Amino acid sequence: MATSQDVADREMLAQAAGGDHAAFAKLYDRLSEPLYSLAIKMLGDANEAQDAVQDVFVQIWRRAAKYDSTQSSVFSWAMLMTRSRIIDRLRARGRRLRVVASSTDDANAEAAADASAAESAADIADRNEEAMRVRTVLDKLPTDQRQAIELAFFSELTHHEIAAELGQPLGTIKARIRRGLLKLRERIAR
Amino acid sequence: MITEDLQDQAALYVLGSLNADETAAFEYTLSDDAELRALVRDLREAAADFGRSVPAKQPPPDLKRRVLREIALEKQARSPRSTTTAANWLPWAIAAAFIAFCAILVVDRVRLQRELAVARATDPLSQAMLVTLASPSGERLDAKVTVAWQPDRQRGIITIVNMPPPGPGRDYQLWAVDANHKDPISAGIIHLDSNGVARIQFKPDQAVAQIKAFAISIEREGGVTKPEGPIVMIGNA
Repeated sequence: MATSQDVADREMLAQAAGGDHAAFAKLYDRLSEPLYSLAIKMLGDANEAQDAVQDVFVQIWRRAAKYDSTQSSVFSWAMLMTRSRIIDRLRARGRRLRVVASSTDDANAEAAADASAAESAADIADRNEEAMRVRTVLDKLPTDQRQAIELAFFSELTHHEIAAELGQPLGTIKARIRRGLLKLRERIAR
Repeated sequence: MITEDLQDQAALYVLGSLNADETAAFEYTLSDDAELRALVRDLREAAADFGRSVPAKQPPPDLKRRVLREIALEKQARSPRSTTTAANWLPWAIAAAFIAFCAILVVDRVRLQRELAVARATDPLSQAMLVTLASPSGERLDAKVTVAWQPDRQRGIITIVNMPPPGPGRDYQLWAVDANHKDPISAGIIHLDSNGVARIQFKPDQAVAQIKAFAISIEREGGVTKPEGPIVMIGNA
């Protein structure tokens, strides 16, 4: 079920598809922090993360008219596009993921330290609340499922490589990823 | 009811972990299964939510200026232009001759047919014809291009990795070579991302009765109605 934020995102993207730069700027304000945060987490380098995020927003601008709301929310579309771009970068450079451990370390402290004064306190609070909710759900996932999803999501490893890395059969890894994602979705939707 | 195996594939699809052939086969299954599409959407939302869990970092203000400056320079997408220029048949003849004598492609075809037979045996919904394209000139050796074509639905999916950009003012254009048509049939413009990757669902401009080959040429930006530029990738069906 679409939230009011989903609807607002779709409106901004539709306006951007029509060439509205102001709407695109608003969409940037809405999405840039989570996308940049993901880029920093996966690339571990601020300059590279900025290049990746810039690349993603240019793609969002170019592809705005092709966005299909039946396939995903705007947020998910942008987030998964960012992840895909980052993985392409990691693979192109032959690098391994720098950090795949816990994604929750010091999250609140860093969020507070980096929050921009240009944004409203309410916006920041909303985003932090969403992030907190996801982290709470993640904490409740079985460790093996969480570990498999973290490797699958944050690294450029294929599921075959993840199975080798964790010393588990391929079928087990596939099932852990699937079960973990389904539980995540189910619990966040509650 | 979605089988666990298909659910596994859905999760890997959402995470981009399937290879090109697996992706093409899964997308055909997806196009016929509303329940599976709903699951994929849910898994996408879950995966994106997972991305929220990372420590928050505020991008520098300058990044917004850079992004807005770059999109201000972007040109609006243009629709394909028509042309009255006569088709240049010579490159097609050269490419066809090359393909006819290309042992590598013959070997590749046998391998693909074997894989397709296995895929069909294990997944009755996977009825796509798989065609691997290669460079007739021996260039672009790193590029991997696969077309999954479903004749009864007149639709296909092309998956491309490691393809270099077509050059300024140029676009890659996909063509279906039909035994019953004098000229190749346009199947659309291919836009690569900055890493030379594309995965596009296509439908040729006209019905394809007897597919002989798929080819990619470099054309003027926006595309043409008949091929004019050099063929850079081709594969027999």
